[in-house]
Amino acid sequence: MLRADNVTYVHRAARAPVAGSRRGAGLSGSADFRPLPGVQQVSVSIDRGGSVALLGPNGSGKTTLLRLLAGLIKPQSGRVTLDGLDVAAIGRRELARRLAVVPQETHLAFDFTVLEVALMGRHPHLGAFELEGPRDLAIAREALDATGTAHLGDRVFATLSGGEKQRVVIASALAQQAGVLLLDEPTASLDLGYQLEIGALVSRLNLERGLTVVVATHDLNFAASLCRALVLIRDGHVQAAGPTEDTLTADRIRALYGVTAEVHFHQAAGHLTVVPLGKATHA
Amino acid sequence: MLIPPAQMLRRLTAVTSILAALLLLVTAARAQQGPQRIVSLVPSITEMLFAIDAGSRVVGVSSYDHFPPEVDNLPRVGALMDPDVERILSLRPDLVITYGSQTDLRTQLDRAGIPVFQDRHGSIGHITDTMKELGARLGVSTQAARAVAAFERDLAAIRGRVKRRPRPRTLLVIGREPQSLRAISVSGGYGFLHDLLDLAGGDNVFASVTRESLLVSTEEILAKAPDVILELHYSEPPAPQLIERERQAWKPLSAVPAVRNGKVILLFGGELVVPGPRATKTARAFARALHPEAVPR
Amino acid sequence: MPDVRRRLVLWTLAFGTLAFLAVIGAPLVGTTRIDFARVFDRSVRFADNVDAQIFFIARLPRALAAALVGATLAAAGVVLQALLRNPLATPFTLGVSAGAALGAMLAISLRLHLSLWGVSAITGASFVGSLVAVAIVYALARARHQGFSTNVLLLAGVTLNSFFSALILFVQYLADPSEALRTMRWLMGDLDVAGYAPILAALPLAAIAGAAFVWLPRSLNLLSLDADAAATRGVNVVRVQQVAFFSASVATGAAVSLGGPIGFIGIIVPHLVRLMVGADHRVVLPASALVGAAFLVVCDVLARTVMAPQELPVGIITALVGGPFFLWLLVRQK
Repeated sequence: MLRADNVTYVHRAARAPVAGSRRGAGLSGSADFRPLPGVQQVSVSIDRGGSVALLGPNGSGKTTLLRLLAGLIKPQSGRVTLDGLDVAAIGRRELARRLAVVPQETHLAFDFTVLEVALMGRHPHLGAFELEGPRDLAIAREALDATGTAHLGDRVFATLSGGEKQRVVIASALAQQAGVLLLDEPTASLDLGYQLEIGALVSRLNLERGLTVVVATHDLNFAASLCRALVLIRDGHVQAAGPTEDTLTADRIRALYGVTAEVHFHQAAGHLTVVPLGKATHA
Repeated sequence: MLIPPAQMLRRLTAVTSILAALLLLVTAARAQQGPQRIVSLVPSITEMLFAIDAGSRVVGVSSYDHFPPEVDNLPRVGALMDPDVERILSLRPDLVITYGSQTDLRTQLDRAGIPVFQDRHGSIGHITDTMKELGARLGVSTQAARAVAAFERDLAAIRGRVKRRPRPRTLLVIGREPQSLRAISVSGGYGFLHDLLDLAGGDNVFASVTRESLLVSTEEILAKAPDVILELHYSEPPAPQLIERERQAWKPLSAVPAVRNGKVILLFGGELVVPGPRATKTARAFARALHPEAVPR
Repeated sequence: MPDVRRRLVLWTLAFGTLAFLAVIGAPLVGTTRIDFARVFDRSVRFADNVDAQIFFIARLPRALAAALVGATLAAAGVVLQALLRNPLATPFTLGVSAGAALGAMLAISLRLHLSLWGVSAITGASFVGSLVAVAIVYALARARHQGFSTNVLLLAGVTLNSFFSALILFVQYLADPSEALRTMRWLMGDLDVAGYAPILAALPLAAIAGAAFVWLPRSLNLLSLDADAAATRGVNVVRVQQVAFFSASVATGAAVSLGGPIGFIGIIVPHLVRLMVGADHRVVLPASALVGAAFLVVCDVLARTVMAPQELPVGIITALVGGPFFLWLLVRQK
């Protein structure tokens, strides 16, 4: 139901420093830079109620793909559709009612409270001058409840811990009452405990509410624990896509990360786990 | 006929002594005359120099000097904000007249070994004091005394004419945003303009504030209720309809006696802002504005 | 309690009363004692009534002008802080007031002596200057980016500020001493409008900006998250940024043209208000406008009474209040 058909997006003047080279814009010496691939002729298809990870190393294009799926950027060729409708053609507000995005980090410029942040998710449902009514309030509170942050309602968002902040942002996305939730590296800046928390939360939302979940991540274990399907991306191309148990293999991991690893089904965890063993000695 | 050597030596000595004495005399005489090449950055002092017969010694003037007409031919060396030190030095002056605040310039001139005369301005007394001081320094004390005497005589004459007349409460406006009542600045109870007003038979409504200039609100003007408003403009008078338009700017304050009775008088002239010998002209203009019957054209 | 409706009503009433009392009270206060019975005495001809003229010409227009300028600058401050996602932004950050100042400087130095509909050349030139600055900054912000980058906007604004400030100094340097004094005077702020024409001239501009200020607040809330988060919640980010930029700039231009570049209001008032009412722009914006109005009215009363009969430029009063306030804020932050 959420599809990308043969989309291509190349960043303008996109240059990324090669690891180990001098960082910083404006440095001449093109030998130090290589172009960011964006995505090249990528097609993915995400079913309703599915949980999919866009998995790949940094700079692989997974975030670009996520932003294309979210309608934040327009593909230079190909198209993204949601329930058959071209995402570029759906109005912004209508799109926001169907699709919500949780960014990697959220920095608020001003001291909004947790409840105010949750209520921001109601924007696509409100008229231009309309104020939130009791129903909006109830939906926002319920979203905070679902993410276990109801007790933080009057706290200032900026004073929360990383995990709490992320849960509140997810609540704000839930308040949009969208059917699809896109998350960009949701655990990248979180401690292990919070990572597990978020993972469990998102999984629950997917299974209990039937929320379609798409996660862009480079964390193999997180993807394996949460998502039933994987899309492996490297250098802007899809390397493989399919159910997690079929796609997450040692060979694929080596091709994706250049790393030798073992993949086991872990009984206690209840899902596949990846144990990295070392850098691959041959390509 | 051969002159004996001893006699020759005696004659030579005599001639040399006479020549030396003459030289000394001439030098002394010249020293008594004082500086011969004067650069003046202060227009009021330039005028004073001409008034005390030292005008021929002026070799450079400021960008804002306009009087007497002779200064138009003289090189310009900048002004208060932008004195051109190089230009000044190139004129090889032996005296430079500067403003009190031009400390940087003075330092540079000191370094070049050029004497400096600092302008101090304030009351009418300062004008005459400065003329006398310059007279002494330039060796033209007699001419200076004559100029001062004429100056004081003229002022006394004006004072005499208006002596027994009732003194109107006067607002002396020295600046205002054109065609509006904003940014009105007036003369306080200090400075040569205040002194001239006082001499010309007017009572400055803001005499209690001892500043040369101050900003006042329309409320204060209404409260002080001056009988006459004298407004100074420092250029040549424009067309009569423009003058009338400026006068009309005061119309909204019709409760002020001066406005109600049509006693808003605009005065024009470059000399109005120069605390120098032409202050007598300013005094006469003030007196004529305040007491037209007593001071004929 | 995020009952926005209730809080909005509460704070608007509270601050509205404050602003109203300030505007009504200001003309009653002053170093000159006036007889209020006489002020409203119809039997005396207005043209002869000193008390009435003090009230209606000297004091009341000032109070109204102060209220208008204070409200506009405070509101513009809120909007620009939201746009630039930085609580330290002021209405003058993006160069609008520098453009207005340059326009005024030029009008004073070139001795433009025209006036149109009671609006002097200086006011007009000042407003034109502000529009030029806005156009340049906007063009620069657009040039680098297909959309609208607030980072580039900030950079362009700061650069323009420096450049115009240098030009202003240059103009002052070249000006006649008497003009130089008047330009310095203008830069310190002056609300003694002595008439209603300048206020009426500024009103339509303030109203246009005001209309935008009514539409913006909820979008500004979302913009505080960041541009992407706002977009994915249905905000047309580019349009909101453009409306915010232009409305705040026009408002600032009008305010500065009316009273000169009076500083500190655009940053003290939003800060203070946020401390009291929270971060929701739907409350912060109207509250700031009302508090800004009251604040500047009071500062102007001080400006005309503290050193009477002399006028202290009102910008000095706001600076004297604002400086210590900032220090206090800084200390508090630690």
